[in-house]
Amino acid sequence: MLAAQVLINALVLGCLYACIAIGFSLVWGVLNVINLIHGSFIVLGAYLAWGLYQSLHISPWYALGIAAPAFFVLGYVIQRLILNRVITAPVLVTLTLTFGLDLILNNAMIYYFKADYRKLTLTPPMGSVSLFDVVVPIDRLIATASALALTGILYLILRRLRVGRAIIAVRLDRDAAMLMGVNVNSIYAIAFGLGAALAGCAGVLMALIFPISPLTSTAYLGKAFVVCVLGGLGSVSGALAGGILLALIEGIGSTLIGPAHATTLSFALLIVFLIVRPQGLLGRKGFE
Amino acid sequence: MVCSRLTSRRSNSLLLAVCFGLSASAALAQDVVKFGAPLPLTGPLAPEAIKQQQGYDLWAEQANKAGGISVGGKKYKVEIVYADYQSNTPRAVQTTEQMITQNNVNFLFSPFGSGAAKAGSSVSEKYKVPTIASTASSAQVYDQGYKYLFGTFTPNDTLTTPLTQIVKAKAPDVKKVAILARNDLFPLAIAQEMEKSAKANGLEVVYFEKYAINTLDHSATLSQIKSLAPQWIFVTGYINDLLLVRKQMSDQQIKAGVLSMIAGPAYQEFIDAAGASGENTTSAAWWHPAAQYSGKDIFGTTANYVKLFRDKYKSDPDYAQASASVSGALFQMAIERAGSLDRDKVRDELARMNVMTFFGPVKFGPNGQIDSLEPPVFQLQGGKPVVLSPALIKQGEFRLGVN
Repeated sequence: MLAAQVLINALVLGCLYACIAIGFSLVWGVLNVINLIHGSFIVLGAYLAWGLYQSLHISPWYALGIAAPAFFVLGYVIQRLILNRVITAPVLVTLTLTFGLDLILNNAMIYYFKADYRKLTLTPPMGSVSLFDVVVPIDRLIATASALALTGILYLILRRLRVGRAIIAVRLDRDAAMLMGVNVNSIYAIAFGLGAALAGCAGVLMALIFPISPLTSTAYLGKAFVVCVLGGLGSVSGALAGGILLALIEGIGSTLIGPAHATTLSFALLIVFLIVRPQGLLGRKGFE
Repeated sequence: MVCSRLTSRRSNSLLLAVCFGLSASAALAQDVVKFGAPLPLTGPLAPEAIKQQQGYDLWAEQANKAGGISVGGKKYKVEIVYADYQSNTPRAVQTTEQMITQNNVNFLFSPFGSGAAKAGSSVSEKYKVPTIASTASSAQVYDQGYKYLFGTFTPNDTLTTPLTQIVKAKAPDVKKVAILARNDLFPLAIAQEMEKSAKANGLEVVYFEKYAINTLDHSATLSQIKSLAPQWIFVTGYINDLLLVRKQMSDQQIKAGVLSMIAGPAYQEFIDAAGASGENTTSAAWWHPAAQYSGKDIFGTTANYVKLFRDKYKSDPDYAQASASVSGALFQMAIERAGSLDRDKVRDELARMNVMTFFGPVKFGPNGQIDSLEPPVFQLQGGKPVVLSPALIKQGEFRLGVN
């Protein structure tokens, strides 16, 4: 029964990891930008959910509808006004710029919210469901379903919508896409906006599960990084596969060799993937 | 250089103001006693540093309000020189040295926590500067044979032993204990003391594991603990870790006769965030605002200290803030008794200190670590911490059962 519980825990956690990583993966895959502000976007999304629930009693499920457009606009504006100026520069330049932006946003959150840990506690609590002694908390289940839905929506946007095809075209070959009449700067901003929207929504969902503090942003960023490498850059299904693989390794590792070594195990796996399969589980050169 | 560290996240105007302030105070050096406080004002330990700063500032404010520290009939104003070592222990050592050599501080407060306090103590010992560590409990800090280092936290076993004795006396059915510790100096040391204490009291330790710093999920660990059916779950860590563990315990419907957490429940943030799930969680800390001591220090009674703190910061003090304040008050008493700012004389007064304070009785052992304090064990009942021991300040009875 312990094995079944560990497996279910890992599947649920894996979907949450995918949700954390998907926007990061999109931005990295399309813009070739390692977006270090991603973790702070997630925390800001969590504060948005917490603030709306505490002050206006707006459920986090509705907060998703507010977070998505708000963060899209925020991401779009940041890309257009700041990031776009150095988008063709070497990756170290954009990395440093997003690092600086992250410092500003994170310290602003410490200033306004303080570093104290807060918790979004639903009243009444949603409780858990159990089947043959395997227990799954309902909030995690709903967050998992939402994470899957967000992943599915992004997949559909990239597959079915004209803008999505343009994003993939830019990712495949920037110059060719420009020659075909794609406005690359606009696509970059839309992709960054989508990445920010996904981070904001992930933050809303994480607020239900994890304590909220600006100090947690690095933990989210670290997970997003590992998931992207495991799953494959820019791949929607890859993020899902990477998230579940990471959660499984952590869960099994924690049970068999102790929680202190679970992180070591996941980073060892990261190194193995970087050497043996650098494109990740489902990553393919240039196409979603 | 220190000026720039002091204000690494502030604006240039603030930098100028602070630099001006420091140079102005240098001009009045003869009327001022300078205390150096290297703190991790930025980085992961920043919340703890802010608490320390609040404690020191409250003491300095009260001392200056009373005219300052009386040295041989003359009043000296208190000035605390802060410097940020960015949560980086090697930098804490450099900062400590700079405070002595460049800022010319008279006395020092240690950097935060056992690890940094131990590292910084080698510098203060070299320059023979009396130093009070207000947040270092591990015995390894005080076993170096140093003469100028004093600490206001008793050893870690003084937290776990009374807790175990209460559980053993009030819950005889508790036989199996599971211990989960953050893999960090203080939380791990407390967990190891708990393991010793449990075994010494005839309890079976069915689980002892460490979790990594920044662990985002404890579900697999808690599933394993649940499968072992312990009657007592003991978890160490900081507020975020403990809130997460508590939430995931509820998620997995883990019930236990006793749940103990160190050090979260000592903080109001934990009580607020945990809400109803915090009910009946036991903990221990070196001080609690519910304590009722009547001291000879500048704050007088515990109640007065709590009132002054509330007035200034609009929140209740916890043990870290109180320890910082009492460290300042102890320096003040030692200097006044020595009647001099001579470092060796003040050191000797600290060494022979035996006094009641708002923090509790203070007497330092031969190694410099306080040995007079009996840390309170408490339990969250009705959303409030209720002291279970020591008998002198007991407020209620231990309650069994955590859902």
